Amino acid sequence: MFNIEKKNITLGYMPLTDSAPFVIAYEMGFFEKWGLNVNLTKQNSWATLRDKLHTGVIDAAQMLAPMPIASNLGLHGQKSTVIAPMILSRNGNGITLSTKLYQKILSQHDTNKISMPFSANILSHEIDERKKEGKKLTFAVVFPYSCHHYQLIEWLKNSGISPSDINLLIVPPSDMVPSMHSGDLDGFCVGSPWNAKAVREGVGITGVTSSDLWQDTPEKVLGLMSDWQVKHPETTFALVSALYEACQWLESIPNRFEAARFLSHTKYLNTHIDVIAPSLMGSCLTLNNASPRKVKSYQQFATLGDPTFNRPAHHYGEKITKLMQAYGHINTQQMTDVDIASIYREDIYQAVIYKDK
Amino acid sequence: MNVLINEQYDIYHVAHSGVPLLRDVKQLNPDVIIIDIESPNRDMLENLNKISQFAPKPIVVFSEQQCANTTINQMVRSGVSAYVVGEVNQKRVKSIIDIAIARFDLFQTLKQELAETKQKLSSQKSIDKAKRWLMETKQLSEIDAYHFIRKVAMDNSQKMDDVAKNILSVASIF
Repeated sequence: MFNIEKKNITLGYMPLTDSAPFVIAYEMGFFEKWGLNVNLTKQNSWATLRDKLHTGVIDAAQMLAPMPIASNLGLHGQKSTVIAPMILSRNGNGITLSTKLYQKILSQHDTNKISMPFSANILSHEIDERKKEGKKLTFAVVFPYSCHHYQLIEWLKNSGISPSDINLLIVPPSDMVPSMHSGDLDGFCVGSPWNAKAVREGVGITGVTSSDLWQDTPEKVLGLMSDWQVKHPETTFALVSALYEACQWLESIPNRFEAARFLSHTKYLNTHIDVIAPSLMGSCLTLNNASPRKVKSYQQFATLGDPTFNRPAHHYGEKITKLMQAYGHINTQQMTDVDIASIYREDIYQAVIYKDK
Repeated sequence: MNVLINEQYDIYHVAHSGVPLLRDVKQLNPDVIIIDIESPNRDMLENLNKISQFAPKPIVVFSEQQCANTTINQMVRSGVSAYVVGEVNQKRVKSIIDIAIARFDLFQTLKQELAETKQKLSSQKSIDKAKRWLMETKQLSEIDAYHFIRKVAMDNSQKMDDVAKNILSVASIF
């Protein structure tokens, strides 16, 4: 046990399937077991989660893996020293096209089925058609500094499509499906369960997942302010320990169904278990009334008994920084300035997880 | 935006949320955008500059040299976030923000007072109902019925409202 400096802490998360480590640690009493009294607060946008963390309204939060790096470079909001002492999840994203666009693509290719995972080649014809009319397809991702953004761009680039060939919007995860219903979006890249929701509602087709593009890249991390950690080192250890236990718990399939039940609750995702359970079972819903696709590690929180999975290794931070540079978010100077070891804090994780091992 | 309803500002357009908000913003071309920090539209608005010529800057960036950190903290805690578009007199922005914070605080206080009053009213209602039931079925006077509820509440260290509700749920069985 630890000498907790701050027993009552407030955590922020976004309504997504990979908020499960927070929800499970809370519901299964892991926070309590490690001496923490946690107030879990659902956030409506990544910008708000970031501002609340920067200003101390929340003590720690679930963050997109590139966000702590963006905060340290001052790419968004105020320049702030956010650290990531733990990886919370890998994979879980998918690219969904609107059913309307998919039907059009089928007729353009004179077929009734396209095998999955599909490449962005299938969009080329429609992109050319729209170019003639001075129009573009509209896609959305959840945040600029997100794996979703880099995955969508890479998927397009792999088929020779430039990001400038489409309109790209930023839409919060839970607003993706309504925006597709209203016809504002032709496609999006989002985390679970929002792809599955689009399929269940018949408005979208999920043809590619992040596992098809980059297997096992870190997706969400635990984020907190560096000075908070300095002031509360033992509380940070307790927090990492409780979340680590939740991630391990989430590796069992029977437990995952229970996790889906918790997540579906009004105060968390407020969404039917039909929509939440599939990705937790490694199933990617493709199109309505068709067989789902089996996706390896579609939603991964840990490897049983192997702590390296959640270790925020420097090379992951470096990989993400390279992606940020490749897609124009940071320049060469910033690339040299950024000190990954001071952001992706392997040392904190090692100190707590390997403590008694 | 209704935080700005006062003698200094008039409302002439109510913006939509979601993707239509972007059209509104492009069309109206505002100088400053004040938005509830809890609005899911913040991500969309904040990142417009990544996708078009129109580039709203979060006030937190803008105000780095201008106002102390405390203003930013105060904004976040008050639930106000703001974006500046193009060249705007910084003093004017500061005064708009100050008004927004003050108005928002007032609005929150009013909202809280309303919730408390509603709560009080509803507990008064259950106490009155329980009193009436006791008067009718136990032939107690009004003052005795009141004292009965109060005594049970004190003996069990409960609120009078909770005792009244228990009485009413028992009453509903009969």
